[in-house]
Amino acid sequence: MSTDTTNTTEQKPLPPVNTLTKPFWDGCREGVLQIQFCNICDLPWFPPAEACPRCLQDDWEWRPISGHGAVWSWIRMWQQYFPGWSPDEYPYTVALIKLEEGPYMYSTLVDIDDKDVSCDLSVEVEFRTVNEEITLPVFRPSHGTTDR
Amino acid sequence: MTQTSRAELRNLQDKTAIVGVGTTQFGAIYRDLDPERSAYELGLIAFREALQDAGLKRSEVDGVIVSRLPHYGRMCEMIGLRHPRFVNVLPGEGRQSGIALQYAALAVANGLADVVACIYGNNGRSSGARYGGEDRGTTPQAMFEAPYGMTSPGAVTAMMFRRHQYRYGTTTEPLGHLAISNRANAALNPNAVMQRPITMDDYLGARYIAEPLSLLDYCLINDGGVCFIVTSAERARDLKHTPVLLHATSQASDITPVYVADDFWHEPMSQIADDLFAVSEAQREDLAFAKLYDNFTPTMLFTLEGMGFCEPGESADWITPERIGLHGELPLNTSGGHTSESYMQGWALHVEAVRQLRRECGDRQVADAQYGLYACAAPLATGHILKRDDR
Ligand SMILES: [Zn+2]
Repeated sequence: MSTDTTNTTEQKPLPPVNTLTKPFWDGCREGVLQIQFCNICDLPWFPPAEACPRCLQDDWEWRPISGHGAVWSWIRMWQQYFPGWSPDEYPYTVALIKLEEGPYMYSTLVDIDDKDVSCDLSVEVEFRTVNEEITLPVFRPSHGTTDR
Repeated sequence: MTQTSRAELRNLQDKTAIVGVGTTQFGAIYRDLDPERSAYELGLIAFREALQDAGLKRSEVDGVIVSRLPHYGRMCEMIGLRHPRFVNVLPGEGRQSGIALQYAALAVANGLADVVACIYGNNGRSSGARYGGEDRGTTPQAMFEAPYGMTSPGAVTAMMFRRHQYRYGTTTEPLGHLAISNRANAALNPNAVMQRPITMDDYLGARYIAEPLSLLDYCLINDGGVCFIVTSAERARDLKHTPVLLHATSQASDITPVYVADDFWHEPMSQIADDLFAVSEAQREDLAFAKLYDNFTPTMLFTLEGMGFCEPGESADWITPERIGLHGELPLNTSGGHTSESYMQGWALHVEAVRQLRRECGDRQVADAQYGLYACAAPLATGHILKRDDR
């Protein structure tokens, strides 16, 4: 067994980037949230998949989306399931965002106190750089005009 | 799908029966952590007990369905079953326990097998299972969830419950009633893992896991094995116990990438209820008990609402200690359920239903057990009405 200190410095989980998901992460790095849309029926979907779940065809493209949505629900995670979160980060917030375009996306909330969070809160995307490859989309209360 | 199109469900009605049940000693092995404990051994112990309970010879078993156990072959080897005629493997998800019974019944009713043993083994506690954090991104879902620390079935249930709170003003108190009731029932079940009664103060004071849910909303993590043996109703009448018939059964689903459902699975659960109560002469008020899948307490709220025991959003008022207790209008999870008896992913709930209908449950026996409900709300949902066959 090696003597390195991997266990004490273990990182938060990072998404594996593959051919299918690379455009999503490339977009995030550029500050653009994009998801797949079907070129035949215009259906958007997330997470990425190889074909349109409605047409079953692989004629699709990545299109930028508004970055607006609403908090469908949210939790505060107290249990330490993953390494990488330091003790003072608990509990951390996880939110399930219903994007304006329809699909749902798990994320987290920034620029808001937990006591002010509520379901159906309007939010908009911003980006947090993790490393050279990965920038994560997160959501903050919406200052814009989107009214759902 | 229209109701009439499912009239064929009657083809399975009362055709098959559970004739033998077996469970390991949940409480005793909970106190005896053994990292080398094998899930197959637990399955074997349960099978041996179920076979004896049924009064069947091993040579009469010609079908095997295993779940959570990775391979049917190893289980068949260990129980000395060399030439099964019907075999299936189901993943170790709780929604599969009801499906195991459906497959067994389909096989028996259609002549593919005479006697099917459904076997489940779970060494999760001894092997360090945590039911969260295992997947750092191997699936399309996990790779977009784990980076935010999102993981575990409990956390998605917490998401759904928070939404239910927002939409209907639900408090955690009804969840407390469910947890307390489960524990009170477990105190009367010598085989249950958790037997010390709890109070509302205990419930409200429990530490959070995925807020708004706390420890006492959660299923246990424990080791165990469960087996039930299915054969034809005709054959069952020649065996030693009063047969427990698969009277009505149905499956429905709402499969999405995020697990949660905006209607709290009302649609699939109401489809199942429609199927069951269309086929059965028994209606909701005729049920002597309900075994509701309680991986986490809110799942029971969604089940009660979806299956029409109350209106959407009204389960919090519907759930009272009097109504759900052993002597109430609809006793729930009389064994203690997943939060207090044993987390056997629905399998032990099936066994408890059989034991109640046989009226073998001693201090926790409910009155006049003739019909009982099993239901599991999940993206893949199931429900059955089981019936005591008095002939
Ligand atoms: Zn399409």
